[in-house]
Amino acid sequence: MTAALTPPRFARALLRVAVPSESRDAVEGDLHELYVGRRQHSPRVATSIWYWLEVLSLTMRFAPDRFMRVMRSLATGDALPSRLDLRLGVRMLAKSPGLALVGGFGMAVGVALSAGAYALFNSYFFPDIPLPEGDRIVAVGKFDALRRVENEQLLYDFTVWRRELKQVQDLGAFRTVTRNLAADAGVGESIIIAEMTASGFRVARVGPLLGRTLLDEDERFGASHVIVIGHDVWQARFGGDPSVIGREIHIGRAPHTIVGVMPQGFAFPVSHQYWIPLRIDPRTPIVPGMGPNLDVFGRLAPDASKASAQAELQMIASRLTAEGPKELAHLDSRIVDYTDVFINAEAEKESTMYAFLRFLIAFLLVVVAMNVAVLVYARTVTRSEEIAVRTALGATRGRIVTQLFAEAFVLSGLAAVAGLGMVAVGLNMLDQFMRDAGDAPFWIDSGLSLGTVLYALLLAVLGAVIVGIVPAMRATGSQLRFAMGSLGSGAKAKLGATWTTLIVAQVGITVAILPPAMLKGGQTVRMALQPQGFAQGEYLSANFFVARESQVNASESDARAAADSARVTITTLLARLANESGVVGATITSSAPWTGGRDPVEVEGVDAPALSTRTQWVDTSYFGLFDVRVLAGRRFAPNDGALSMADRPVIVNPSFVTEVLGGGDAIGRRVRYRAYGDETMPWHTIIGVVEEFPAGVRSSGAPSTRTMYHLTVPGEWDGATLTIRLRGQRPETFAPVLRQIAMSVDPMLQLSSVRSLDAKYRDYARSGARLALFVALISGSVLLLSSAGIHALVSFTVNQRRREIGIRTALGASARRILGSVLLRAARQLALGVGIGLLTAMLLDRLAGGELMNGIGLLLVPATAAFMLLVGLVAAAGPARRGLRVQPTEALRSE
Amino acid sequence: MTARGLGEFEQLVLLAIAHLQKDAYGIPIVEEIERRTGRSVARAAVYITLRRLEEKGFVSSWMSEPIAERGGKGRRYAKLEAEGVKALRDARRAAERMWRGLDPASLRVK
Repeated sequence: MTAALTPPRFARALLRVAVPSESRDAVEGDLHELYVGRRQHSPRVATSIWYWLEVLSLTMRFAPDRFMRVMRSLATGDALPSRLDLRLGVRMLAKSPGLALVGGFGMAVGVALSAGAYALFNSYFFPDIPLPEGDRIVAVGKFDALRRVENEQLLYDFTVWRRELKQVQDLGAFRTVTRNLAADAGVGESIIIAEMTASGFRVARVGPLLGRTLLDEDERFGASHVIVIGHDVWQARFGGDPSVIGREIHIGRAPHTIVGVMPQGFAFPVSHQYWIPLRIDPRTPIVPGMGPNLDVFGRLAPDASKASAQAELQMIASRLTAEGPKELAHLDSRIVDYTDVFINAEAEKESTMYAFLRFLIAFLLVVVAMNVAVLVYARTVTRSEEIAVRTALGATRGRIVTQLFAEAFVLSGLAAVAGLGMVAVGLNMLDQFMRDAGDAPFWIDSGLSLGTVLYALLLAVLGAVIVGIVPAMRATGSQLRFAMGSLGSGAKAKLGATWTTLIVAQVGITVAILPPAMLKGGQTVRMALQPQGFAQGEYLSANFFVARESQVNASESDARAAADSARVTITTLLARLANESGVVGATITSSAPWTGGRDPVEVEGVDAPALSTRTQWVDTSYFGLFDVRVLAGRRFAPNDGALSMADRPVIVNPSFVTEVLGGGDAIGRRVRYRAYGDETMPWHTIIGVVEEFPAGVRSSGAPSTRTMYHLTVPGEWDGATLTIRLRGQRPETFAPVLRQIAMSVDPMLQLSSVRSLDAKYRDYARSGARLALFVALISGSVLLLSSAGIHALVSFTVNQRRREIGIRTALGASARRILGSVLLRAARQLALGVGIGLLTAMLLDRLAGGELMNGIGLLLVPATAAFMLLVGLVAAAGPARRGLRVQPTEALRSE
Repeated sequence: MTARGLGEFEQLVLLAIAHLQKDAYGIPIVEEIERRTGRSVARAAVYITLRRLEEKGFVSSWMSEPIAERGGKGRRYAKLEAEGVKALRDARRAAERMWRGLDPASLRVK
């Protein structure tokens, strides 16, 4: 395959940016040739790493040259940095390695965060659809403004839109279904299929590699079963057999004929590798607002725009609203960018997590930029004498500023390269993760794009401007005259208010943002270290789903029959399992014990805002199977399941009792979910309190373990989690037995993620640990930078007063008093910063609804504040003591 | 090194081109220097040096037809020019003159 012999895309893009145009083709060609040669005898990953290293080395060598050319092309004259300036810059960095390391590291983290966020936001929210004229593909949908979600029950609307909408061509629809693909030895494998109209292939404008795509005739109800497969499946399952067309495969209960193979990389509509026609039963009436979830898409007509299509859609919508049922009247018909409906862009952009992340990243950038600026500034000002000498010798202000800019650019440029490296590694990990999960949409391209590289370059220039030009302008401005006037006297520039403001802001920001970051990190670490809270090696867990083989508009009786058959399937499965030797019991739940849904819950008779609570649906055997003790009241009993869902009682845990009910006796109290709009939610009575389970485990994003358990009856759901407790055999050895039993009970019963419960928990904890590492890295770098910044600021300001200290000593002041006054002044500035930081922290906590700090976090605030105070005072003490050692006569003489 | 003179690495690149004759482009030049000197060479240094040598008029270069195995890119072949040959000879003569009267085996650090 030629694709496999193509070097990494983003490395190539970087290469093209880095190498000057006259050498570009030759260099790129040489590396390509070497890459192809190496691929003959080395694995792909090793060759890609080698390629990346080559590109990075070339980039480093060409970068200064390239940057100079850009700058020269912008303007000519001696104001532009020369090679000498850059070389001097490198030398200056080597002279102060501490500054280079701390500043460079801080900037690299800053660039990594910022460029990483840029790359992710871009590929997530503003992706380029890699299809011909992909930007003209749109989604047509109905937005439920009340619930802030897409309403996807669009079958009725789709049939109308398909007939009437002229501004959008080839209108199509799809839904994702899963089915068992019969493999060898009677074991089924669950696969994901796009049930899609034939027009989907026309919208994508991609032809088949072999055979044909779906045709409109295939959508006819009763036509023979056909399937189109993707390139990856064709390779993996059929060994790339060119005669695969016409072969039959068993999907669910029915044989399907393969009619086409799509080319590599094709995964429209989202991440699909199997396509079957979407069929509508002409015998069943189609009702507005009913039916399965569908996604509707199309291509804007050649002369249409999104606005004109929206106008046309609006006209159709007004008519449908007038004719249709009242409860659907609030839905907004709209045309959006194709990818927007899948990421639920509206809701995501408004979510607090998203806002918090953006806020955190922006804030971190401010901290990083400010600290590096402070470090460089402090050093630049100490060099004011040198600058004054150079000015006296005839250097223009422009020359000196250029020189300082070049110095800063060496630092920021290196930091940008390091930051980009971190981004590349991070994105690669993310990409791998998404590919492993198998559900990455085809348009998500989280690699290092040209835009990201340019963005990082821009940050480097911007960073150089902030840390180079700004202090340089000041150092060569009014202070220069001062420095020239006092040349040789040892006097230094005075800064006063600027420095005080910087110190206060610095301490304030650190105290405000670091504790929540540390808290989040701490939570995840705790979670990763926590034992899982259930017996190891005894539980096997699987997700199951009983697929319904029916057309999209199944009649009510069909649907009821399918639901009945699902219930029979699940109850049969449980009965079969109960008879297996070594099986202690089985339970059906909505999710793994440590996760669950999150919904706001309110208490009857309590006028307080609803609290977000973890919710789980469990059957009557759940608590017994996991040995969870009942602390008050009782467990669920079989006759609770006979009640309707709305009337069923609930069970809660102690943190629910404390945090939601405010303590006291929980039994008999009533709770319900917060309602949206004018609907009413039923009250549920609490019948029991069980111990915290799994003990102490909280999910990384969740502030609390408060949990509410609902009762479900096996067979009520066609998909959920099945957990089996075993005795005398390992979960790993029982897994294939379970798969065989499932396939023999019903070929439509699909199992996925069949693994021991501890293995699943370990994966879960590991992902938390990774997040904690990330948070620790960032918090650590911020703390390091902040400490260095505070140290530089305080020691610099005290240094300014060294002569004053000398004079006061000469005039007879006691050393203790002087030291006391210096430290007091530093402490006042630091305390002001701490105060502002505390207020900001409390404000942020309030804004986040108390979930940012969650009580414990507030303890971290004074700890951080104390640390910053300590760093500041230590920084002040050093120069103050040195000032005390200045001989009084010397101090007076220099005055 | 004067404006007309040659740096040590420039000499190595020019000599590699001389050895390779018609096959002198980036990859073999790097390999030739590494093979003959036994030291590893930064690829970027070779490209930058080639450009500088061309600016000085010591070598000329041209692009070949696009080649599929190179992702559709051509090769930039380099050829020694008369100025380059002269510069190499001058460098050699200068070195020989400097060595005259010295025995490499008897060189000692005092």
